[in-house]
Amino acid sequence: MVDLKALRAEMDKRYKVIEISEQRTDLAFLECDKIDVPDAVAYLRDHEGYVHLSFITCVDRLEDEQFEIVYMLRNHEKKHDLGVKTKIDRKNPVMDSMHNHWAAVATYQRELREMFGIEFPGSPGVNRPFALESWAGPPPMRRDFDTRKYSEETYFPRPGRETHDPAEHMKKTQYPGRADL
Amino acid sequence: MPDREKFPVHTGGVENFDLESGRYMKVWQGPQHPGVTGNMALELVTSGDEIVDLKTHVGYLHRGFEKLMERRKWIQNFPLVCRICVPEPDFNEYLYAAATEELAGIEIPERAVWIRTLNLEMARLTSFLMWLGGQAGAFGMGTIGQWTVTMRDFMLDLFEELTGGRIYHMYIVPGGVRGDVPQGWFSHVLTTLKNVEKVLDDIELVLFNNAVFKKRAVGLGVITPDMVDYYGITGPNARASGVARDIRKDRSYLIYDKLDFDIITGISIGVDSDIFGRTRLRAAEMRQSISLIRQMIDKMPEGPVHVSPPNVLHWKIPAGETYLSAECTRGEYGYYIVSDGSDKPRRVYVRGPSYTHAVALFEHMAPGTNIADTAGLMVSLHTYPPEIER
Amino acid sequence: MSIKDIIAPFAVWKRAFEKPWTIKKPIDDRPGADRYRGFHKNDGDTCIGCGTCETICQNAAIDMVPVDGVQGDGGDSGLRPQIDYGRCCWCALCVDICTTGSLTMSNRYVWTDNDPDVYRFIPGYDSKEWDNAETGYSRPEGYSLLKEERVEMPALSVEEGLKSFVEMIKGYSAEQAVKEADRCVECGICVAECPAHMDIPGYIRAVREGNIDEGMRLLYETNPFPASCGRICTHRCEEVCSIGHNGDSVAIRWLKRYIADQVELEDYGKALPRPEENTGKKIAVIGAGPGGLTAAYYLRMLGHDVAVLEARKAGGGMLRYGIPEYRLPYDQLDKDIEYIRGLGVEIRYSINVDAESFKNLEKDYDALFFSTGLSDPYKLGIDGEDNPRVFGGLAVLDEVTAGKDPKLGKTVGVIGGGNVAMDAARTARRYGAEVTVLYRRRVVDMPADIEEIEEAAEEGITIIPQAIPLRVEDAADGKVGFVWNMAEMVDDPDGGRPRPQPIKGEIHTFVCDSLISAVGQGTNLPYLPEESESGVAVKRYKPVVDERGQTGNPGIFAGGDIVNSRKDAVSAIGDGHAAALSIDRFLMKKEA
Repeated sequence: MVDLKALRAEMDKRYKVIEISEQRTDLAFLECDKIDVPDAVAYLRDHEGYVHLSFITCVDRLEDEQFEIVYMLRNHEKKHDLGVKTKIDRKNPVMDSMHNHWAAVATYQRELREMFGIEFPGSPGVNRPFALESWAGPPPMRRDFDTRKYSEETYFPRPGRETHDPAEHMKKTQYPGRADL
Repeated sequence: MPDREKFPVHTGGVENFDLESGRYMKVWQGPQHPGVTGNMALELVTSGDEIVDLKTHVGYLHRGFEKLMERRKWIQNFPLVCRICVPEPDFNEYLYAAATEELAGIEIPERAVWIRTLNLEMARLTSFLMWLGGQAGAFGMGTIGQWTVTMRDFMLDLFEELTGGRIYHMYIVPGGVRGDVPQGWFSHVLTTLKNVEKVLDDIELVLFNNAVFKKRAVGLGVITPDMVDYYGITGPNARASGVARDIRKDRSYLIYDKLDFDIITGISIGVDSDIFGRTRLRAAEMRQSISLIRQMIDKMPEGPVHVSPPNVLHWKIPAGETYLSAECTRGEYGYYIVSDGSDKPRRVYVRGPSYTHAVALFEHMAPGTNIADTAGLMVSLHTYPPEIER
Repeated sequence: MSIKDIIAPFAVWKRAFEKPWTIKKPIDDRPGADRYRGFHKNDGDTCIGCGTCETICQNAAIDMVPVDGVQGDGGDSGLRPQIDYGRCCWCALCVDICTTGSLTMSNRYVWTDNDPDVYRFIPGYDSKEWDNAETGYSRPEGYSLLKEERVEMPALSVEEGLKSFVEMIKGYSAEQAVKEADRCVECGICVAECPAHMDIPGYIRAVREGNIDEGMRLLYETNPFPASCGRICTHRCEEVCSIGHNGDSVAIRWLKRYIADQVELEDYGKALPRPEENTGKKIAVIGAGPGGLTAAYYLRMLGHDVAVLEARKAGGGMLRYGIPEYRLPYDQLDKDIEYIRGLGVEIRYSINVDAESFKNLEKDYDALFFSTGLSDPYKLGIDGEDNPRVFGGLAVLDEVTAGKDPKLGKTVGVIGGGNVAMDAARTARRYGAEVTVLYRRRVVDMPADIEEIEEAAEEGITIIPQAIPLRVEDAADGKVGFVWNMAEMVDDPDGGRPRPQPIKGEIHTFVCDSLISAVGQGTNLPYLPEESESGVAVKRYKPVVDERGQTGNPGIFAGGDIVNSRKDAVSAIGDGHAAALSIDRFLMKKEA
């Protein structure tokens, strides 16, 4: 597998590693500063063998007011997955574009912009909608967007659904005289 | 910086072509089109019948699964995940269940692991059957499609007998599998496999010794080894170009390390990395799946098939994150799950191989090809749009 | 390009001579596989309307609805699941988690109709052609989403237990309690069955989440005797627990005990509310048993002044004087009582109320509540029962409570089959005696709690059923003989329970050092004035009250064993609570 200590030592020489943690022998997560990420990822690709990009995604850390962007890289030789994570400000989410690193990055960045509202200045075609045509609402994958509330307000359910709570129903039908207990 | 001659930046280009000039024509292939694998729109700009530009539009199958999964308890998600990729739903079920078990620290019984592997290989075979019909059909050979879909139907009968559902099995669950194998099912599987092999023999005879297919497929859609990492190509698309990578060997998840099989590449079966070569390679992988299924039926251990999790109505999984991938028919299929210690997942990200194949790679490969070949090219990349936009 | 490439494709024509793969049948004739997840079936007799299927449905496809002709009762909510096939995805999570196993699926999959509204239906009640389908999906063998086994409660072994009156049940640890609490599905069926209507799912959830303060608050909302009930409640809730249908019921009583055990008395105030502002009203309560003290607690919390008058030297009633310490240690009972007293409830012990003082109480107080229990033992009704070696069950237990050795001797016979008989028998056992219980009917007819009977047998107590008492006579060496006739059970032609009929010639004598008579107790209301004076009617020795405990006199209420038929502590508590709320409404002129 991969000697994480050695990897961290090499990375520390060039970029500040906030944290590196091992989930399994073939999966680790490495967190660095937003400013270091494009170079760190390029370094990992060119010098540490992480030539394959599995995906780029985002986790909405609403309670910390941050977005956590994850770049999942893979080293085929050493059979090791490495998730490079970084946290960006949620109120003004901008991240450097890495569209020259791999061909698919432009697509991932397009999706993140649409789903989370993160800007990637300079990414080709980043303003083109990815999956949602003519969507006027907020970025839907954000945790403060309540899809249930939205659908209840926008659409109308077919009438005729009404449920009963067993304990409440039993109170009304089986012991109404002592329902106040 | 990549070689911009070989790998130009694709900005989505119909704006670059003067449609008024009379030299170019814009054609929409899809989103409902027999030459598109699923619902995806290809906005083509052609000069005569040569494609000069392709812009892909996804989103017709966006169902918002990732958001839905955040709002449901852990156990309530397994009926959802199988619907993300229709032709091989078992991979979704397995990856979700395995990632959940990893985060929760649950170990499942051995027989359950074997049955899961058996399900996955059957799913690969079933998906390949449909694909093979599609590939031949894209070049006008509809007969093959009739045969393969029928064989797929018999495979679905097997799934129905085992799991209770034909397409959406909802059988691989966190904790193991939902019920043991019924009496006599293994012999049904072996009988069906014999029939599938017979049909495969027929297909190989009439498809691989076929002047029309060779004329059209050879030399088309070439993927070179240096494209593999830049475009994020995995699966048979990469293996056909000679790159020997197979997650079943690399990560050896489930019980693949106990089974006897080799990585099939374009080099090992002596084909080039074009559509014809990829078809040959996938047919070989179908035979490989059949062999693996037979091995598993032979060696399957006895034992329980499920270990029950804590009360699923309030099952809280400790905070953490993990990424699990599996080798589906198209390449690397992955689930990235983040838990925040509550009874619902914080984030479930589904990584589908078609995300890279059907967008960046396809947009790169299509210009220069004939419009009649677009369908064949798309099918040869084995893309399934549902997993692109989930 | 070779010749083969031109010729080989024609091989497809061989299909023309092979059998087609198509099945030439209408689709209805192709049955689904044996396990196919098809349309739902529900067995109305087994379904209890717990609603767990609705909770787990991932697409909110199920509603619990009342059904014409389905009368709920204890253990059955009367609701049934209605499934909306516009939302159902046939994942069968509802079938997997069904607590009784009533919800299953057929293997039918074809249903066409012009009317979209028919697709919301109540399986098992909206009759469908697949209601009797034999194949289909049901929960697979060995696959369970619920834990069927209860977490075992650590307890003293029988040998250890017999050595003394130390409490036998040790109580759950935090880990055990959380694990047991996790088994609950929060259906709420138990709440109706509980005579005090405690919020059981709520306090189980509090245990599970480690929120003891919330648990205490929820307990005291309906029951000010959690430490006592957590040990000796008759746990009717556990008998209707939905998990109990296919496994062990949730250990609700032990979880209640767990919460109370976590908090020291001096810390109760941190979790529990304070009484409301003083209203200036005064209520007298006669009897400091669970009924009286519960009424006192709730009246005090509503801001009233309460004085409790107790004839004995200490409070608790049967909880102290009836139930032995190995089941309910006195310090735990004292904890419950002391908290109530500490809120400002005045308890006066060793006060005997007679008809005169009763009338004074009526004058001096704004309302009255009496809950004095059943203290008048029934007679055996046989010759020789006044033999000095025959003791009353309650009298023996009284002596032991006072710390005295009842001096029963080496062999003891107990006549009776209720809880007092079991308590007396097991108490005698702990004083080293060989004990035999003689009961006139079968073991299954014994009114004692089943756990009491089982534990008595484990402790080496012999039970002789179907023993009709004939007479008591002296025996040699200062012993006493109990003469009884073996009986056979004869079915009652009117459909009542079978009656014991003496078998001719089967007369036996049981010789022992002491006999304990425990055949039930009756009411004793010497303090109650005539109906013409008090307004309280008495029928068959019991005061006549309505559901709230209110007598013919609107300011006088009664509760507990003297009015209800269930005769356990939690029923008295429920009565006390209902009476307190009604007294409050009566005094403060509130609407119901």
